[in-house]
Amino acid sequence: MATNVSFKDRKLIAVIGDEDSITGLLLAGVGHINEHQKKNFLVVDTKTQISTIESTFQEFTERKDIAILLINQHIAEKIRPSVDKYQQAFPALLEIPSKDHPYDPSKDSVLKRVQKLFGE
Amino acid sequence: MSGTGPRENVFATRMALTNTKLRLKGAQTGHSLLAKKRDALTTRFRAILKKVDEAKRKMGRVMQLASFSMAEVTYATGDISYLVQEQAKLATFRVKAKQENVSGVVLPAFEVDRVSGSDFNLTGLGRGGQQVLRAKEVYAKAIETLVELASLQTAFTILDEVIRATNRRVNAIEYVVIPRLDNTIKYIISELDEMDREEFFRLKKVQGKKKRDAASNAEQAALKVTEEPLETYDDEPDGSADLLSSKDQDVIF
Amino acid sequence: MEGLFFNVNSGFLEGIVRGYKAGILSQSQYASLTQCDTLEDFRTQLSATDYGNFLANEPSPLSTATIADKATQILVDQFNYIRTNAVEPLSKFLDYITYGYMIDNVVLLITGTLHERDTHELLERCHPLGVFDTMPALCVATNVEELYQGVLVETPLAPYFRDCLSASDLDDLNIEIIRNTVYKAYLEDFYRFSTTLGSPTSDVMQSILFFEADRRTINITINSFDTELSKEQRSKLFPAIGRLFPEGNNALARADEIEDVRQVCDKISEYRSFFDGGSGFGQSNGDYQDAGESNIAARLEDRFFHTEVHLNKEAFLQQFQYGVFYSYMKLKEQEIRNLTWIAECIAQDARDRMQDFIPIF
Repeated sequence: MATNVSFKDRKLIAVIGDEDSITGLLLAGVGHINEHQKKNFLVVDTKTQISTIESTFQEFTERKDIAILLINQHIAEKIRPSVDKYQQAFPALLEIPSKDHPYDPSKDSVLKRVQKLFGE
Repeated sequence: MSGTGPRENVFATRMALTNTKLRLKGAQTGHSLLAKKRDALTTRFRAILKKVDEAKRKMGRVMQLASFSMAEVTYATGDISYLVQEQAKLATFRVKAKQENVSGVVLPAFEVDRVSGSDFNLTGLGRGGQQVLRAKEVYAKAIETLVELASLQTAFTILDEVIRATNRRVNAIEYVVIPRLDNTIKYIISELDEMDREEFFRLKKVQGKKKRDAASNAEQAALKVTEEPLETYDDEPDGSADLLSSKDQDVIF
Repeated sequence: MEGLFFNVNSGFLEGIVRGYKAGILSQSQYASLTQCDTLEDFRTQLSATDYGNFLANEPSPLSTATIADKATQILVDQFNYIRTNAVEPLSKFLDYITYGYMIDNVVLLITGTLHERDTHELLERCHPLGVFDTMPALCVATNVEELYQGVLVETPLAPYFRDCLSASDLDDLNIEIIRNTVYKAYLEDFYRFSTTLGSPTSDVMQSILFFEADRRTINITINSFDTELSKEQRSKLFPAIGRLFPEGNNALARADEIEDVRQVCDKISEYRSFFDGGSGFGQSNGDYQDAGESNIAARLEDRFFHTEVHLNKEAFLQQFQYGVFYSYMKLKEQEIRNLTWIAECIAQDARDRMQDFIPIF
């Protein structure tokens, strides 16, 4: 498969999330700022435009050095159509729960597919 | 008649028949191989499916624990989010991809690749450093779970796709290629039979004609034979021979 | 002597503060707060306390950060009221209280400037108590040198910076080291100032500030284990006051593990219990199996908070002194922490940890 070719270079974990999630993940050491001053994380608060989230999502999914993209579920909810449309294997898209929004398996785009497959 | 299903456009020859039979055999082998592959993949897929489901739920718990440790940090240290965001420079927590081969499908598996970094070692130096340290660990563990989940999920996505492709192929072979070859073979056989019959009939005809020809030749020859001796030896056997060979106009049978 | 004239200038404000203090949440109020199932309940319960309707205009869903912000805002309003009514030397004393927050703000701005962030966004993140008029001026700085000059000229923290850091330090040193160096200078200066106020203020403040200094010393020691912070650097961050000073500090500067810290603290009877093992208070939760050293260290923070609250409560036992203002601020801060903690527990559904806050009264 064509997507497999480049995955050796993919090393980073990117995050789109709320402040607390980002802080925690950065503490663990996922943060990375490359030579173009591009971060691999985006802090989303109430003032963040949906279009910003959308474009960052696109950017992260197109970047070649990102292996895993984490996104808070409640933020994924805001750009649900794009998230659901996203089917590529790389970067792997993971919806993670956030502090104020406990995990809801029924909304997860992957789990939805899992459920569908089990249902068949 | 074999003209009911689609068939390949071949000349009905023995050569084509042999070829088509070989191809049918190939298709059948391919089909069984692909079916085996599909079964293997599906088994794997089911296993992964289950794991994905479990891991996703586990993640829910782990992340809850993690964000709670963050709450502890906020309690002890105050708001450190901005400092942490600004101090992030190089990722110390990375992933490494390795491959795993399942029935010829390359599945990537991510592995945690941590280099010891000191980025936030001093965060909370004066207050709450222990909490920060612990939050770091808890989050690192949480990310390990996430990475594991990501591997599973990637495997899931790829397998899903591959299984679909394999299924398509299996079905294509089963429902299109094989029937088509079958039809072709039937067609060729029936054509060949038809040709056989025609040939037979033709041969018969030829034979009949030959016989007829032979008979008339023989008659002529006989006539010649009878005529010539008549001229030379006008004997008794001639009369008997003459009786047999020539018709007596007066005799009515 | 002191008591005789105290009320002329400060009696009114002391009365106000003691009045405010009566509004600090009581045990029973905490009890009802911990019963809440949702943050909405929490809001309703809080409106029955002195906080009143401070959350009334907040849209649902409520976030814990909002609660903390609003509660802090109330504290800031109270403080500003006192500050505007204060005269020397109380006003100076109150200014000293704000310096602690200023340090945090300046450090935040320095970090932002070093990374060329939009500094206006930073201003919003600053602690409201640490805001000073000329703070926005720091934001125009574009490089470290300018910033350093700016800090020196524009902020009340100038002497602290001048004495312990040079412009090049700002660039190289870890921001946490800067923060702690400055904070050390601040604590020492605050102590010096409070002694000029004479007894009983100086007595009360001494016990509180000494504890604060010791707490920092111990914390820095423990937190610098296994980091790139050298022992030499470490010892420079220790405030030169406190009950551990000087022998304890010297010993701590050489400490390699938590056992060493325990030995040092054994000499002070009040600190001895900090390192007791046992389940007792706090992290008795099953989630954390890492018993032993890290557990002690983790619990230490809680015990420090406990002691801080205790000392600050004691400050209220004495009249005619300024310590109450400082103590009130600290107690209120603890209360905000408590509220945030309970709110977090409610939001994250972690009821088993909910009792881990530190009740004040």
